[in-house]
Amino acid sequence: MAESVVQAGSSRGGALAGIKVLDFGQMVSAPYCAKLFGDYGADVIKVELPNGDAARRAGPFPGDISHPEKSGLFFINNTNKRGITCNVSSTAGRELFLGLLRWADVLIENNLPQQMRTWNLDYPQLQAANPNLVVISITPFGQSGPYSAWNGYDLNAFHLSGASSRYCGRPGEMPLEHGTFSADYYGAIAGATWGMAAVYGRDLVGGGQQVDVSCAEVIAASFVGSQNIGLVAQEGYFDKRTGVGMPLGAPATILPCKDGHVWMLALESGQWAGLCKVMGDPEWATLEMFKDMNTRAQNADILYSFIQEWTAEHTKMEIMEKCQAAGCPITAVFTIAEAAEQPHLQARDYFVDIEHPDLGRIRNLGAPFKLSASPGGPVEPAPRLGQHNAEVYGRLFGLQTASIASLQDQDVI
Amino acid sequence: MGKILPLKGIRVANFGWVWAGPVAGQTLAFLGAEVFKVESRQRIDMTRTLPPFAEGKPGPDRSLSNHASWAGNGSVSLNLKEQEACDLARDLIVHSDVVVDNFGPGVMDRLGLGYERMRRAKPDIIMLSMPAAGLYGPLEHVRTYGLSLTSVTGLDSLVGYKKGGPVPFENAFSDPLAGIFAAFAAITALNHRRNTGQGQQVDFSQQEAVMQMVGPAYMDYLLNGRIGGPKGNEHPLGIAAPHSVFPCRGDDRWISIAVHTESEWAGLVSAMGEPEWAQAERYSTLQGRIANIDALHAQLAEWTVQHDDRALAEQLQHHGVAAAPVLNVGDLLQDPQYVSRKTFLEVEHPLGFRETIYGAYIKMSRTPPDVRPGPMIGQDNDYVFREILGMSEERYRDLVERKIIY
Repeated sequence: MAESVVQAGSSRGGALAGIKVLDFGQMVSAPYCAKLFGDYGADVIKVELPNGDAARRAGPFPGDISHPEKSGLFFINNTNKRGITCNVSSTAGRELFLGLLRWADVLIENNLPQQMRTWNLDYPQLQAANPNLVVISITPFGQSGPYSAWNGYDLNAFHLSGASSRYCGRPGEMPLEHGTFSADYYGAIAGATWGMAAVYGRDLVGGGQQVDVSCAEVIAASFVGSQNIGLVAQEGYFDKRTGVGMPLGAPATILPCKDGHVWMLALESGQWAGLCKVMGDPEWATLEMFKDMNTRAQNADILYSFIQEWTAEHTKMEIMEKCQAAGCPITAVFTIAEAAEQPHLQARDYFVDIEHPDLGRIRNLGAPFKLSASPGGPVEPAPRLGQHNAEVYGRLFGLQTASIASLQDQDVI
Repeated sequence: MGKILPLKGIRVANFGWVWAGPVAGQTLAFLGAEVFKVESRQRIDMTRTLPPFAEGKPGPDRSLSNHASWAGNGSVSLNLKEQEACDLARDLIVHSDVVVDNFGPGVMDRLGLGYERMRRAKPDIIMLSMPAAGLYGPLEHVRTYGLSLTSVTGLDSLVGYKKGGPVPFENAFSDPLAGIFAAFAAITALNHRRNTGQGQQVDFSQQEAVMQMVGPAYMDYLLNGRIGGPKGNEHPLGIAAPHSVFPCRGDDRWISIAVHTESEWAGLVSAMGEPEWAQAERYSTLQGRIANIDALHAQLAEWTVQHDDRALAEQLQHHGVAAAPVLNVGDLLQDPQYVSRKTFLEVEHPLGFRETIYGAYIKMSRTPPDVRPGPMIGQDNDYVFREILGMSEERYRDLVERKIIY
């Protein structure tokens, strides 16, 4: 294998320069996890099956017209990666994949465990190919336990965590998820953290290992368990969703206003006084039933109807600005458009423009955090299907153009 | 002890407060770093005052939820209202690799612990600040609670029932997520330090980190100008149907069912006993099922509600359908998956009580972490001041007496 390959990641610099990553995932969790490595300078090769990552078929597409190179989901989660295809179901394809494993420091994948076994690519086989490899496996339920053989998606993982039943939705109505792939993202971020530590400490601990991420478990433990498990274990008691932001203090909920919604929060006495001042010190606010956050919570329905009379007359930005100035942690509930156009985020260069061969010049969310000495963030657009086959198989493996063509003819790549 | 974890030898001074900051420390500790949360009895971190308390006895070292969310951090007590305490904090930073804080911008500077000052004392220090909206910019001083931080990312605008207004998520989903994410940022900076010898300041805006989750809706806005809103439990990109949670027998019991492929749909129809309604022309393609998703969900709910959630999940899985029970908090300790993976465990606290916390929520095949009970305030004072900072017994006693170490 050629050692002198120019690495996409190291040519950009970045905190993770020199780390070689294979992304063998689809949709959100593994690709986003691998994107985090790529956005901070690792050399990431995305390995797709011949029909491509399912995100290529998921959209959103410009004008809702499906096109494998124009999927917004694929675009946003696959920046800074080179892309190759490999049919791991075939013997020759599997051999190529094992070669890639020997090149890599990290493999990130989100296939169900039974699928990896079917390909003869379960962890013992990966480890045999490269004992130094860190394998980050991100699945809804994890690699062990009775549900590990279950079929599952983001939705199933999220609702298995206890988060929705406890915290999201109205009583008597169905518990809700966030309206995005929240279990996938949560699992991806946690997997990147623990996986990156495994890479960092690899020499110290004596080699590679498998980082087994269950998206459901990560949320069940670090979010739901964190705040609830002590109570349920000690007293056998637990709470359920209430549909308002906080049942024990008020105001603490989302309320409609003139042009949308605001997150109405004024719990401490100074905050409440600030809110009252912004509202023009209405007489109702001096009623005994509203004297502290607890009594306000006991009379929340009345309180919220009073406050809504005021919010209905004002815009979200006006409410946010005046209340913030008065010391209240009240914020506008930004729509996606408002979030995407925020002056604050623009001033921080959070959005970056990228030239994409099929989508044209298009914006993207930038680096999730700013490293002063080694900036990160998306630079290269997501790869087209098999875009770097010749470069990777040719330069990395020393395959001749003719051999690559022949592999293509045999549907290996 | 004895086992080598991947971040062994890394020392972290954690000025994190409440939830997000302490979780950053907890994560680094699970991975082998030595983490000292810097806190004080002079102003007790409010999460230490949250009930329930161990054995029902209130006390800042007995809050069960606090212990679950912080376990792994050590604790050093310094009253940072006093200059001498700030000087000691500076000494601790000089003996550390990573510093974490989640104060507002400028607070560390005012304590004399800002990056520009600390880098002169220790050039390769990594200082990670994680304020709500970053260290600079028009919203740098925005006040939010973890509960509402998601409102300025666009995420809250997506949560709710179909065609209704936003429904508030009732706890700070972003806090532990941002804490874990910040630990990733710290490790990337450590990697850079190893490559180059350089330390650096990390500007970790919780808003920007959490906003990554709205990527799919953001792309729909960019590509189509479409502004997403609440749609219940439907697929974020509308590419699967059925896709929701459905009622089951019993009080507030539900099952999640997600059908993406034709074979999963065939499995579901077969599990239902091939009822006539499911074989209607309009449901015969994914496109048709998506177009008629409300009717499809209503009909499916009539079937699910006759069944027990767990038994139904087993049955549907047997037919290859992605289905799982919707657990409530009371289910977590008994659920076979979490029991099997030892997600929650009981530990013995130094004060003599047992408490149930979470441990390694990610399974590392070579380096499973040590799980420790939640820290008592100042439990590591002796070790840090006497051994790491080399303080004399006499001075240490004096500082304790004068409530500098407090």
